[in-house]
Amino acid sequence: MSAKRDTWGSRLAIIMAVAGSAIGLGNFLRFPAKAAANGGGAFMIPYFVSFLLLGLPLMWIEWTLGRYGGGFEHGTAPGIFHSLLQKNRFVKYFGVIGIFGPLVIFIYYTYIESWTLAYSFFAVMGKYAALTDQPAMQSFLRGFQGLESNAFFNGLGWAYFFFVVTFGLNIFVIYYGIRGGIERLCKVALPLLFLCACLLVFRVFTLEPPTSIHPDRTILNGLGFMWNPDFAALKSAKVWLEAAGQIFFTLSVGIGVILTYASYLSRTDDVVLSGLTASSTNELAEVVLGGSIIIPAAFVFFGQSEMQAIARSGTFNLGFVTMPLVLNQLPWAGFFGFVWFLLLFLAGITSSVSLAQPTIAFLEDEFDISRGRAVRYCGIISFILCQPGIIWLGRGVVDELDFWGGTFFLVVFATIEVVLFVWVFGMEKAWDEIHHGADLTLPRFYKWIIKYITPLFLFFILGAWVWQEWIPIIFMKNVTPECRPYILATRIMLLLIFMVLAVLVKIAWKRRKSRGEALL
Amino acid sequence: MTISGWILLILSWGLIIALNVFCFVKVLAKKDDEREANASKLD
Repeated sequence: MSAKRDTWGSRLAIIMAVAGSAIGLGNFLRFPAKAAANGGGAFMIPYFVSFLLLGLPLMWIEWTLGRYGGGFEHGTAPGIFHSLLQKNRFVKYFGVIGIFGPLVIFIYYTYIESWTLAYSFFAVMGKYAALTDQPAMQSFLRGFQGLESNAFFNGLGWAYFFFVVTFGLNIFVIYYGIRGGIERLCKVALPLLFLCACLLVFRVFTLEPPTSIHPDRTILNGLGFMWNPDFAALKSAKVWLEAAGQIFFTLSVGIGVILTYASYLSRTDDVVLSGLTASSTNELAEVVLGGSIIIPAAFVFFGQSEMQAIARSGTFNLGFVTMPLVLNQLPWAGFFGFVWFLLLFLAGITSSVSLAQPTIAFLEDEFDISRGRAVRYCGIISFILCQPGIIWLGRGVVDELDFWGGTFFLVVFATIEVVLFVWVFGMEKAWDEIHHGADLTLPRFYKWIIKYITPLFLFFILGAWVWQEWIPIIFMKNVTPECRPYILATRIMLLLIFMVLAVLVKIAWKRRKSRGEALL
Repeated sequence: MTISGWILLILSWGLIIALNVFCFVKVLAKKDDEREANASKLD
């Protein structure tokens, strides 16, 4: 390897970067909706069980694998898996998923992130200030997304402008590297994110019932809607699956991002305490802050009768329709609207820069090209790949990208990681590796959990999702005939991306072999 | 808000905040120069 790899400036920096990667739009939109719709407070029981049995073990495995691979100057899954199992020629190809997944998520996530930047601008400018009901706000959103021409928007101009700005900001941060870009961003963005969230929680907790006709619409009843348990829900497998899924998505495990971030650690750096700190920071943002904003606030303004429908209306509807409507009815609506969308934007950008990093690290580490060139290549290619999601949003392209990049391969990749680390690399070696330089010793029963419970949990999730949800999606059972060509084209694009990455892995290893380098 | 709702809220928040405070206290207790010293010892 010609150039020295980048490193983190401090331990706090990587904790903030991993926490920033994990804290995303889902913490403030997906979690409260899932909890409210799946048993309220009772949802927290399967949620914490999943956190302890699935989330934390996967987090520690990824931190350890990343640090281990970084020792061999590999920052992405193909090289890391190869370092684990050097005699196997094929194991590196499993690692392609660890670059493919984050790249695919990056190409639609940046677009969604750009909506939050646009809406924070609209909030300040008062562009949606006069809207008072759900249909009008939905029409505003659809107009902005280019799905219809209406009184608010005519075409994709605004959306595209904010996408270019957001994309440019991401590339700018990534260009300056781990220490100069991502670390600096997270040091500013994460505290600011917590400040925005605390400000909104304080505002929500001081809300009064909007009219005397509905004295029951209090913030305490709003919290009750979120937290009052329906213990009967615990008998439903769906609720347990939803909780496990939420833990999976919220901690950013199974993507490949943590592997890359941890590869910039030194061999003596702790991963146990750092992983736990990043996870608990994410939980603080999700359960304590995320659970205290949108659902209680919406309850105060819409009441019990409309809340079930609102909670089930989907993430985007909650964030871009319900919440602006609630904030519109408060004094200083523009300011609080700006704070809400700034909060989402900060959550988004700290995640999106992490999603681009595996591709950059792959080009830098395996092809020995400079960071500047790697960022240029990645920037140009991902900008082109973003276009179908923007132009054909209404045809289901983003949903399709999210299914493959952000759901399907995420669980598959996590399962591969666990099996390779625990069962192929070996539990004893894995346990020693986790504890190398550790500031915290894990209880012995975690050895048993990591070896048996976590893989079984993952296989159960995989099986249940394939059975319940994935088969209809894979066979396009819920896709309208006019959208099918777009979905098929998206799948072909994804297949091509995967194949190109696999070929690049092959070329990288061939180059190293021809130069006589040890293939570590 | 029912009593069981309050109990679940306080338990969840309490657990998360306690865990987060515990982690940050331990992280901040170990200074980065110790980390660098450990790394250079290995080099």
